[in-house]
Amino acid sequence: MSQYRNVFKDETKLDINYVPYKLPHRDRELRLLTEFFSFELQTPDKMAQRVLITGDVGTGKTALSQRFGADIVREAVKRGINLRYIHVNCREHRGSLFLILQHVVSAFHPNFPKRGYSAEELLSMLTEVLDDENVHVVLALDEFDSLVELEGTEAVYKLTRLQETRQNRPQRLSLICILRNLNVIASLDLSTRSTLQSNVISLQKYDRQQLTDILKDRILLAFKPATVPEETVSLIAELAFSENGNARFGIELLWRAGKYANAEERDIVTPECVREAVSSIIPAMRKSDLVSLGFHEKLFLLGTARLFKQTQKAQVSLTEAEQAYTIACEESNAKPISHTQLWKYVKTLSAIGILKAEVSSTGSRGRSTLIYLPRIPAQELEKELVALLEKGEA
Amino acid sequence: MKKLNVEDVFSSRLRMKILKMLNQVGELNVSDIARRLSVNYETTSGHLKVLEDEGILQHQVFGRIRLYRLNERSAKAKAVQNLIETWEKTQQ
Repeated sequence: MSQYRNVFKDETKLDINYVPYKLPHRDRELRLLTEFFSFELQTPDKMAQRVLITGDVGTGKTALSQRFGADIVREAVKRGINLRYIHVNCREHRGSLFLILQHVVSAFHPNFPKRGYSAEELLSMLTEVLDDENVHVVLALDEFDSLVELEGTEAVYKLTRLQETRQNRPQRLSLICILRNLNVIASLDLSTRSTLQSNVISLQKYDRQQLTDILKDRILLAFKPATVPEETVSLIAELAFSENGNARFGIELLWRAGKYANAEERDIVTPECVREAVSSIIPAMRKSDLVSLGFHEKLFLLGTARLFKQTQKAQVSLTEAEQAYTIACEESNAKPISHTQLWKYVKTLSAIGILKAEVSSTGSRGRSTLIYLPRIPAQELEKELVALLEKGEA
Repeated sequence: MKKLNVEDVFSSRLRMKILKMLNQVGELNVSDIARRLSVNYETTSGHLKVLEDEGILQHQVFGRIRLYRLNERSAKAKAVQNLIETWEKTQQ
């Protein structure tokens, strides 16, 4: 039996629940969040805060909140302040205020009874519990949208105005509401909206470079040295960018590609591992798409697939693909078609989702077209095309 | 309030079960204890009162919820804890 190869140093660093110590490209937002809650470390009894964090999937909303939570609690401990950060995913609690509050109470009393009282009573019991513990809580309500959708204005109003019913008593509960889209807030009444919307942190989607930085940080933590080449990082960043700048998608893909590398007993995570990983998540190649391609489209794609397979690159130029196509034509005794026609093929194959083309203007000799094979393993694509060409399904 | 003798406190099977239960899970409300013992609320309350009067248990009230646990400041509660844990260890 061959010795087991493992590209990972610590794959838990790629887990969805892992919160990295450093959040690349979210320093400003983290500082702002810390600033909003600075009173917790100075005069925690005197005020409570409500902050909205908004942004698309994979923009780091949850990680930002959790990083902040861990940091502020650490600082509070140093200063002898009893502060807890509690993160609740509202969707996991079916958007029910009752279940969400129960989760919070259970952080202090794990066997608190699950039945026999209303959400309103529970809210009041929660304040009693916090008083009893003499604790201040920053409650992060992740996927806040589901709470708004299920419970509507009334519940959110009660939660956000809880402190106002406790005049001259210590302020105990601050909120971080995490949601994808601010439009959800529009369904709330004016006063609840104004309470919530005073502090909003909007996370913009990551660009390619930012995604690359995030991936590189995680690679340092999770993989053995020199196991993930630049080409692989660049392909994953490209794919995550095309998934709306979704860093979470990129990190999951990185982990999955590592798993494919291990399964194939490779020492490095190649772009082909990434393609295999993507095709396992998204069934990207429909055979009917390939069948419907013309003869030269198939030959062009065959040449390109072989090129990706041989070079292990994440991207190739149209010129390189054209050379590979010419060789495929020779094998089939076919006369190559013109460059202009090939460019049209690239556009068609991109529209179907098999290839991805990008015009690069960074080269010293003007613009060139770069081709990616983002989602389909080159080897699998080659096999399918050879079979189709042999059958003569052109 | 007249204090009970040790044999009076520990002569009840239900009271021993309550102590064992609270030592294991930490804290519970009256209904939950009654449900786990399969006895009614009043009986459970009565036993809880005896144990609390002896200083072995304490309770906290949140709204309508009354949570009981071993009184961590009580020497008697510590002795009970030691007894249960030693007993269970030697049973293994």
